[in-house]
Amino acid sequence: MTTGFLSGLSWGDPDANVVHVGTGEFAVGDHPTILMTPALGSCVGVAVWDAFRHRGGLAHVMLPTPSEANADGNRDRFASVAIPRMVEEVAPGAASRRLVAKLVGGAAMFRADSSLSNVGERNLEEVRHQLGLLRIPILAEDTGGSHARTVELRLDTGVLVVRSYMYGIREL
Amino acid sequence: MKPEDLSPLQIDALRELGSVGAGHAATALSQLLDHAVDITVPEVKLVPVSDVPMVFGGPETLVGAVYTRLLGDVSGGMLFIAPRGAMLALVDLLRSRPPGSTKSMNADEEALATHTASILIAAYLAAISRMADLSLLPSPPAFAFDMMGAILEVATMDIGMKADTAILVLTSFVDERAVVDAALFYLPDPDSLEVILGRLGIV
Repeated sequence: MTTGFLSGLSWGDPDANVVHVGTGEFAVGDHPTILMTPALGSCVGVAVWDAFRHRGGLAHVMLPTPSEANADGNRDRFASVAIPRMVEEVAPGAASRRLVAKLVGGAAMFRADSSLSNVGERNLEEVRHQLGLLRIPILAEDTGGSHARTVELRLDTGVLVVRSYMYGIREL
Repeated sequence: MKPEDLSPLQIDALRELGSVGAGHAATALSQLLDHAVDITVPEVKLVPVSDVPMVFGGPETLVGAVYTRLLGDVSGGMLFIAPRGAMLALVDLLRSRPPGSTKSMNADEEALATHTASILIAAYLAAISRMADLSLLPSPPAFAFDMMGAILEVATMDIGMKADTAILVLTSFVDERAVVDAALFYLPDPDSLEVILGRLGIV
């Protein structure tokens, strides 16, 4: 599934059911499923978690809103589309009041090019705006900077494991 | 335009562009470095953009990358990528040091890699410009050293996520001591690819 030092996924549990969330997609699952998405650059990984039902979702959003690019094809790559859809699937209606969120990513991968750099920042802005509209509090963030991150959401504890070449493994 | 839509003749034309570009880049580099460096293009192929991270073993592979956006008659981006080991070996080759001398990428090494990729990209664009009679200019290059997937995602986002197919130009830098394999990805938007092939008279 993955290679390199990051292949030591899920704390060495080979039986863990790891759902791989692709770029511009989201996935929803229940414990003991683990949701992971690799190599977030300027994209943002948005994790929402329901502590009561041990259920959650992870989105890998690429751009803020459909007005940013040609909106054909997969619309879940936009924060303004993917986040409301994911929240509705994790906890429909009033149950969404139980949800908490954690954010990872939104980095500026390339040095010395300002127009490339601020996509991550704009992604983060839109993600925070969407979560605000849904009244979902953001408990933790590992965002910005200039390094790539891989994340894994554990649905029993709501812990978001972040791995990067820059800082190794961190937990949010 | 999907990879499977291209005829063998069209792929030959793209390979020819790659070889001509590599030849010019090798001449320029050899003059600049004052020792002979050859650049060969063992393979040119089309890959779906979503499969690009797999070329070097997956989205989390540590790579060095140089990206420039294309300005002019066609739009798209050029991404030069070498996995960490190849990047370090390339620096050794350019500095004409024994393989294994360079251990990490510092500001000097980054600048050297960026300039080399820039020369390669400019030579490739010049080849396309001349053969297809199009005006093509690269934007200033930007360097990154991190996970392949994250770098690719920024590049595809930059060109408006329109590229579904990348032209992969496998590129080998060769001197008397070493051979270093890297890759140049041309991410054209689909209309641009048809414009280029059309100008080459093979649509």
